[in-house]
Parts: sequence; C-alpha cells; structure tokens
Amino acid sequence: MDAPLVILLDPDRGDAAYEQIAAQIRTAIATGALQAGTILPGVRGLAADLGVNLNTVARAYRLLEEQGFVRIRDRSGVEVVTPARQPSRETRADLEQQLWELLVRMRQAGLSSADVRRVLQAQLGRLERA
Amino acid sequence: MNPVTAQLLLVGGLVAYGAVLLILPRIARRGLLFGVYVAEEGARGGEAVRITRGWYVGMVAALIASAAVGEWLTLRHPGEPLGGSASLALLGALTPLVYLRAHLQARAIAAPGAPAAVAALVPDARRSLLFPLIAVGAGILGGLVSIVYAWVHYGDLPAMIPTHFGAERQPDVWSPRSFWSVMLLPLTALVLGTALGVMACLIARAKRAIRFPDRGISVQAQLRFRQAMANFVSGVVVLVTLMLTLMSVYSVRTAMGLAPGLPPAIPFLLAIMLTYALGGTLFLALRYGQGGARLERAAGAAPLTNGLADNARWVLGMFYVNRDDPSLFVEKRFGFGYTLNFGNPRAIALLATLLIIVFAMILIGVFLPHARVPR
Repeated sequence: MDAPLVILLDPDRGDAAYEQIAAQIRTAIATGALQAGTILPGVRGLAADLGVNLNTVARAYRLLEEQGFVRIRDRSGVEVVTPARQPSRETRADLEQQLWELLVRMRQAGLSSADVRRVLQAQLGRLERA
Repeated sequence: MNPVTAQLLLVGGLVAYGAVLLILPRIARRGLLFGVYVAEEGARGGEAVRITRGWYVGMVAALIASAAVGEWLTLRHPGEPLGGSASLALLGALTPLVYLRAHLQARAIAAPGAPAAVAALVPDARRSLLFPLIAVGAGILGGLVSIVYAWVHYGDLPAMIPTHFGAERQPDVWSPRSFWSVMLLPLTALVLGTALGVMACLIARAKRAIRFPDRGISVQAQLRFRQAMANFVSGVVVLVTLMLTLMSVYSVRTAMGLAPGLPPAIPFLLAIMLTYALGGTLFLALRYGQGGARLERAAGAAPLTNGLADNARWVLGMFYVNRDDPSLFVEKRFGFGYTLNFGNPRAIALLATLLIIVFAMILIGVFLPHARVPR
C-alpha cells in the first residue's frame, strides 16, 4: 500500500502550527507529491483531523495562496496550482529579499560562500529532480 | 407477561448486554486501556493484563449479582416486569464502577507527554454521505407523511383518541383530541428520524484517528470503519422512521375506527430492528474492532496520534474536551462508536437541543390528560 501524504504537527517544535502545515504542503508541492489540480482537504476536515483551531488551517491556506501554491475556491475547496510561468516584479523582489535574509543567516551561522554554493546546488538539484 | 417469557427476556437481555461489555477489551485499539493511552508496548505489558483481568472478574461478578437480584424480584413479583428492569438498572450502575476502577489503575501506566497530530491529505470521498443523506431524506419524508396524514384527518377524529398501545397492539390509553395528543407521535417521527439521519451524516465525517508511520493502513481502516458505521446507522434510521410512521398513521386510523389497532407489521419491524441493531453492532465490533482497530493490525507498532492518544484531552477516559478542535463527533476511547467533543460549543448545543426536544416530548406525553379506559 502506498503511504498517503500526511501532515504532522509536532508539539515540541518551536514554529507555529500554521507554519508547520504550510511548510509541509509547500514541500509536497515542490517535490511533486502534490500535483497541480489536486484538491486539498477542507479547512474544517483538516482542522478536525489535526485537532487544531479552524483559523490555524485557514491561516496556513491563506499563506499558501499568497505565496502562489494554492487557489482557494469558495465551494470546491483548496486547489494546488501550477507554478507561474514568470514571477511578477513584486514577487521577485520579495523572494530576493527573503533569499538575502537567508544568506545573511547562513553566513552568521558559519557557512562560507563555498558552503552556501554547495547547499544551493544540492537543493536546486533536488528541486529539479522532483 | 408470562413468567417464563419474563425469565427468558431477563436472561437474554443480561447475556446480550454482558457479552457486549465483556468483548470491549478484545476489540479495543492497541495502546488504549480503559480510556487511557498507555502506548502500544504498555498495552501488552503485565500490568495491562492484570487490569484487564480485573475488569473481566468485576464484570462477571456484576452480571451474576444483577441476574440474582432480577431472579429474586421476578419470583417475588410474578407477572410484573420489575425483575428485568431492576437487574438491567443494577448492571448499569455497577458497570461504571468496574470501569472507573480499571481506568484509575490504567492511569498509573499512562504514556507521558503530548503526542504528535497527524492528518492525511486525502479529501473525504463524496460517496461516503450517500446512505446517511438517504437516511435524512427518509426521516424527513416519514415525519412529513405522518404530520400531513394526521393534519388532513384532524377534523374527522373523535373526541377521545388512542395515545398508547399495549403489547397486543390494541389501544390501552385514550386522551381528549388536541393538537398535542394528535401531533405528538408525528412530530416525534419527524424529529427523531431527522436527528438520527443527521447523526449518521456527522459520523461519516467524524474525526479520524491515525497511526504514524504506518504506510497509510490506519487511514484506510478509519475510512472503511466510518463508512460501515454511517451506513449501519442509516439503516437503523430508515427502520425507526418506517416504524414511527406506521405507528403514527395507524394511531389516527384506529381513532377513526378504520383499524382495530397497530398493524401486525409493527412487532415484526421491531424484531427486525432489534436484531439488526444488536447483530449489526456485534458484527461491526468483531469485523472492524473499535474504530477499525482490527483492520489496522498490519500497521505493526506504529503509535497512535492526535486526540485519541492525548490523555490531557480526556476526562475519565470517556469525555473528550478540546476547545480548539472543531470536531463534533470523536471516536470513543473505551467502548464502541462515537462520543461528542464537549469542548465544542456546537456539540454542546446539539446535545442540549436533542435533550430538550426529547424531554419536552416525554413531558408532553406524561402530562397529556388521559384515561386507561376504553371509549
């Protein structure tokens, strides 16, 4: 039997529940485990299964919509969307800013420029293989 | 009632009730012990075996005591149903005590900490609601047929109408014709049929309890169990609705002198319903186990997650209280079937509404002016 895709909320992790949910769905989409057009569980169903507040799941879905991973429809639920062909100028600027902040943190954590390049190459390869 | 029949009913009722109670530990989810999550290895340990043995001994003693009291009362008051009622009431009072003892013992070996929460990203299949929706439709239709039939014939009814029928299907209590004496049974048919149908729908969408990592076995087990349970409850709803509709229509027909009493189909339907309810419950319990526990054996020692594994969310192992959880219905931790999320205001409102309606119907029935004399 194929293992179904699951979301796991770890109460011992520091990040908020909605961030854990959004991060796992982002990863599933990026790795191809969730294909474009897939309908995700409704807010109430997912919140009930996880035993969390409706707002937690709704917030995670809203975040994913803002980031361009899903489209929230009124009746048919939340749908995974195909990646954009071209980023808008604002999105590009926003992502570059986030990458800059990540690079700063990596440098602060002790990674050299060569280390950062290696990490970036490895993660890019993982994304392209998906 | 025939004393032999009374004895047989007493013994049969006790055996059925006792059998259901005695098999509960055998169908329980791995890791759960008398309403406490003790983890998978804890449930197989020596202490768990000792606690479970205590439950069996306690329940057998409770069954013997109840049967003895019932027999004694039946012999002292032959022809009265006192013995059967008293023995079932005593068993009903002793069972929580035996459970509480086992529950408190199990708490000593409870699994520590808050478990992870896991949800499958699998949307519910739409077809899971097919039978429950049919049940809701049947409940509404049966109720409306009863109401319309009574309403249409209201003017033709005599001053005194039958409001209760005896074991021989003949009316034995009569009341003056009024809105409530005529409409109580049709309204009960509508409310009860619809409420039970809605309950079947809610069960079909109840919270899932998942093991992780288990290659998806528990998710599939849960889906199959919920579907089977919702379909089973839907069947009960259709039978109850059919019976109440027939009773409602025939009480009006009896009042108008078109029928001598309730039709012979009523005891037949009642027997079918009881057999279906008891047989179906035993079948589901033995086939699927608690929440599909028997289907998820292949999941190995994968731990239970979510609310079922979270001891902090359960009061006495019986009452689930989680204010954040939007679930209305949650699988029982001990026993078979579903319970309410008492932390959800909507669940409390649902329970309160049902209780108010049921008590109102009972009170109206009790306080209706009536006479135990024929017309």
